[in-house]
Amino acid sequence: MRNSKVLMAAITGASLLALAACSQGTTTDPTSAESSTSDAGSTTEVTGDAPAPFDGDVRIAIVQQSGQGDYFQQYLNGTRQQAEALGVELDVYDAQGDNATQASQLDQAIASGVDGIVVRHGYPDTLCPGVNAAIEKGIPVVIYDVEIQTCAPDAVQTQQSDADMAGLVLDQMLKDIGSDQKVGYVNVAGIAPLDRRDVVWRAALDANGWEQMFYTGSFTNSTATDTAPMVSSALKSNPDVVAIYAPYDEFTKGTLSALEQNPDIADGIKVYGADISAADIELMAAEGSQWVATGATDPNAIGAAVTRTLFLHMAGELPNGATVDFPPILVTQDFLRENNIKNMDDLRAAEPALNISDVSGADWIPAVTF
Amino acid sequence: MPEQLSGPTAMNRVQDGVVKYGFIAVTVILFTYFALTEPAFATSSSLFSMLKFTSVTAILGLGVTFTMVVGGLDLSIGSTAGLAVQLAAMTMVFYNLTGVTAVVVVLIGGLAVGLLNAFLIVICKIPDLLATLGVMFVIQGAKLIPVSGQSVSSGMVLRDGSVAPGHFTEGFLKIDRGFVGPVPLPVVIMLALVVLSWFVLSRTTWGRLMYAIGANPEAARLAGVRVGVYHGLAYVISGVFASVGGLILVSRIGQGDVNAGSSSLLEAVAVALVGTSVLGLGKPNAWGTLLGALLVGIVLTGLTMKGFQYYHQDTAKGLVLIVALLFSFTLSRRKVRYTPAT
Repeated sequence: MRNSKVLMAAITGASLLALAACSQGTTTDPTSAESSTSDAGSTTEVTGDAPAPFDGDVRIAIVQQSGQGDYFQQYLNGTRQQAEALGVELDVYDAQGDNATQASQLDQAIASGVDGIVVRHGYPDTLCPGVNAAIEKGIPVVIYDVEIQTCAPDAVQTQQSDADMAGLVLDQMLKDIGSDQKVGYVNVAGIAPLDRRDVVWRAALDANGWEQMFYTGSFTNSTATDTAPMVSSALKSNPDVVAIYAPYDEFTKGTLSALEQNPDIADGIKVYGADISAADIELMAAEGSQWVATGATDPNAIGAAVTRTLFLHMAGELPNGATVDFPPILVTQDFLRENNIKNMDDLRAAEPALNISDVSGADWIPAVTF
Repeated sequence: MPEQLSGPTAMNRVQDGVVKYGFIAVTVILFTYFALTEPAFATSSSLFSMLKFTSVTAILGLGVTFTMVVGGLDLSIGSTAGLAVQLAAMTMVFYNLTGVTAVVVVLIGGLAVGLLNAFLIVICKIPDLLATLGVMFVIQGAKLIPVSGQSVSSGMVLRDGSVAPGHFTEGFLKIDRGFVGPVPLPVVIMLALVVLSWFVLSRTTWGRLMYAIGANPEAARLAGVRVGVYHGLAYVISGVFASVGGLILVSRIGQGDVNAGSSSLLEAVAVALVGTSVLGLGKPNAWGTLLGALLVGIVLTGLTMKGFQYYHQDTAKGLVLIVALLFSFTLSRRKVRYTPAT
């Protein structure tokens, strides 16, 4: 009995040592699991010499509100690969959706003495004190998709251009259905990127003489499932709409399943969405799918472009308070079918513009493409 | 085990040493390891931000410690902290009242939840875990009813189209963002509550009676202790501590985040459990809880600096807990005093 307990102590101690030993190994090995995902990138040619501080050792941090889910994993993959491409060390602070933790982690990133910080998503009220503290300490900060201009005007702002994403799709919708039509709308208020798309939608309604017959949608933990019955009811009372705009792919999915439940009404209604993923591509390209166009960006490419923006800012080639938008592309159902596109890799091959490798580019930065 | 009757052997002494100092040794070893391999780890600004990061978990953990001492477990602390976040935001943003008023409202809210738990457990005789589980869900939902499930922020547009009249006051935001000398204010609050909890638990009759109730409520009752009073008191303290944690959270976030506090429960319970193994006491105690929170803080900060992802860190947190439990349950020759009542 006694001996077995002593043995347990020995095993405990040994396993702790083993744990410590493992951690040492992983950091020095650049080909660890995170960087060898399927979205491995290649890099563009470098012709210029890296300016200071990139002539020495550089460490940056990304402070992200949440890293869970495909989108954010791809985003981080892009960030990681872009940092590696320039030989920069990257610390990842992930608040797992907890805003208080994100504030603390921003403090920790600053305290750890990194040379530059990317802050991704979160509340302005939560992040502004930390962002301003970092800038005061001389640490350049690039923000992605936080409305922080008023309280931290010196941070560099970046975002996916939601206005362009909506504009491209709505232009296509106008081409397809013409003006003076009855249309439906699936969206919610209060979520920054969706609000930006909403502004474009309302302008398009006015400009094209479209009549909005219904406006519904529900943003929850299971958005698509919860939105479907709402769209279904709206369709029943407004069977004469010719097109529906659902500017978020979960809304688009909900709309598609509502159409499926109402085959007698659904015929001929065109659905215009937003975002892209492998699952979205499959849905759009499927036989009889009514999802005809979407606006797309590649999270890998955006993660990389944000990092390049930070590099430019750190090198003094981008001033405080600058704004950088990452443009989306239009993806239509016809395009997917003609080019036999089945997944994101096919789409990237057919549409290299998704890489946005010219955004925040410089001759000394090897831009990662996917 | 007859050999134990004939006094401790050399092996026993080694084993006791491992149990008594093993946990502290692990903390020191990990700290030293991170300090040596990551130059940024042991700087004063990094350590203070780590302590600040740890403060909410530690304060909620202290509340849990009280309930563990009386043989229960408060599962409602995360929701109570979340309730504090909503109450503070509503008091200042909707009703345009001062930061001091918000603090008072929040503390009353925590007290009320504690009394509700005490009522259900002591008067209605619902087992601790089940009563606090129910209260957890009720508070989690009820706190969102007056705000229609939306986060309350300064300058928000209300349902009738007008702009909310109030905002988070500068003074209130200082709860998290202020300093006493070089020390962040939440760290000072945490240390004050640790000392207070230690004093109450170890140096007062109340505390000793609480431990007695946790060890054997029937014996305590037969000895003339008013078991219900002290049992309920532990939950009231827990509720108030949780609301203090919530105050720090909301001033850190700067708005009434609907999700705030929800992730705090398991961490607080974990650090209180880890704390039972400190110095081989085998029972919940205030300093142990603080040390448990610090160890988790050290591990998370160190692993982040080493470039690990969040799922590695969750794994590491779990391992810390298991190692600590090995010290107190498996290796200890002393009978462990904490077994949760159901």
